Amino acid sequence: MQNPEQQVAEDEQDTADSNRLPTIDDWANIKDCDIMQQQSAIQAEEAHKLPYVGDKEPLSVLEVEYQSGSPILQKKIKTLSEGFAFVRRTRGDGNCFFRCFMFSYLEHVLELQDKTEVERMKGKVEECRKTLQNLGYVDFTFEDFFALYLDQLESVIQGTEASISQDELVTKCRDQSISDYVVMFFRFVTSGEIKKRSEFYEPFILGLSNCTVDQFCKTSVEPMGEESDHVHITALSDALGVPIRVMYLDRSSCDSGVGVNHHDFLPGAADLQQGSDSGSSAVKPYITLLYRPGHYDILYSK
Amino acid sequence: MQASRARLFKEYKEVQREKAVDPEIQLICDDSNIFKWTALIKGPSETPYEGGVFQLALVVPEQYPLQPPQVRFLTKIFHPNVHFKSGEICLDILKTAWSPAWTLQSVCRAIIALMAHPEPDSPLNCDSGNLLRSGDIRGYQSMARMYTRLAAMPKKG
Repeated sequence: MQNPEQQVAEDEQDTADSNRLPTIDDWANIKDCDIMQQQSAIQAEEAHKLPYVGDKEPLSVLEVEYQSGSPILQKKIKTLSEGFAFVRRTRGDGNCFFRCFMFSYLEHVLELQDKTEVERMKGKVEECRKTLQNLGYVDFTFEDFFALYLDQLESVIQGTEASISQDELVTKCRDQSISDYVVMFFRFVTSGEIKKRSEFYEPFILGLSNCTVDQFCKTSVEPMGEESDHVHITALSDALGVPIRVMYLDRSSCDSGVGVNHHDFLPGAADLQQGSDSGSSAVKPYITLLYRPGHYDILYSK
Repeated sequence: MQASRARLFKEYKEVQREKAVDPEIQLICDDSNIFKWTALIKGPSETPYEGGVFQLALVVPEQYPLQPPQVRFLTKIFHPNVHFKSGEICLDILKTAWSPAWTLQSVCRAIIALMAHPEPDSPLNCDSGNLLRSGDIRGYQSMARMYTRLAAMPKKG
């Protein structure tokens, strides 16, 4: 059964340059590391098209994009343009929700110079740290990601040596070594929150993927590049106490006309439903995301 | 690069501490390169790998821990999810399900678990996978045990 060609190929394997691109003849020899290399090459190619976080663009870019698209979408974009002036796109690499949240949140704190919010957030981050510790995560596996997020949080408040401007915030969110670490911080926080309240999240997770809470966190929350769903958004919003509004730009419509649906993710909403609902009216989301099936971008109100 | 080095240094210290806790795993860092590691893992008991010591090569990428280490068996092993010739391992956490929550130590633990619980439906070694899938447990076990004796046990004098 030993095929002579195969033998030659094996002998070559040791000396072969691992960077060489596979040709069709090589399919039999293709290894996982080749596949991963190819994947990162595709990602690098995509990176040229759009940075992790794009520039602020007028909402009219959406009109142009859907010029020859569905009339329902065109109508919805018109409705959106009544309330929103700008959109900021993010790269569609599976991390777009977290990337949107990172930029939108830090930009908000930077604009308002909200020191109270920074202190409140720091408290939440410490709670998240304890959550992970209680769940048995080893400190050194997540502490670098926590530290880097706290650095960013500090840096948006002016008056220290580390302070950054809005332009620098854009640059940082485009820098892989910072951006990916912050995304990973959010993934740890989201995973911890879901596991901590697993009895609450279990039915939603079963509806999404038919697997256990632990499996879901392992395969769909913690790995980079795994897309976010309403479970992720609810958990992150809850864990950090930040309300998020999502505007849905899809082709759904109803008899009464074409409106743009939105959903507000309000921290603690699930608890409030069970108990008294006093105080739930106080929070208004300052982060607004535009959802198109499979992707999130950032929206700016007029 | 700096971040991965710092993280690996923490893992190195952890490995020294864990030695007594995990006697099945011996992780050794290359003398001159913290991105290259070797592991010696003991075949789990009540499996055809029992009594064998298997050597793994771990190569850590610069993007670690955002990207997984590359791990392969250096010791020949007959297992559905290990490539018989290259030693490459089919394990989700080494590919798509990788996250920085894993460590070199816990990766080794996961590989030991895979040795005890093969997944014949995603085989890299089809001969081994087919034996298990056709229900020939005895055939699989005797092949696996033979290779454990041949490759993973000290030669008798």
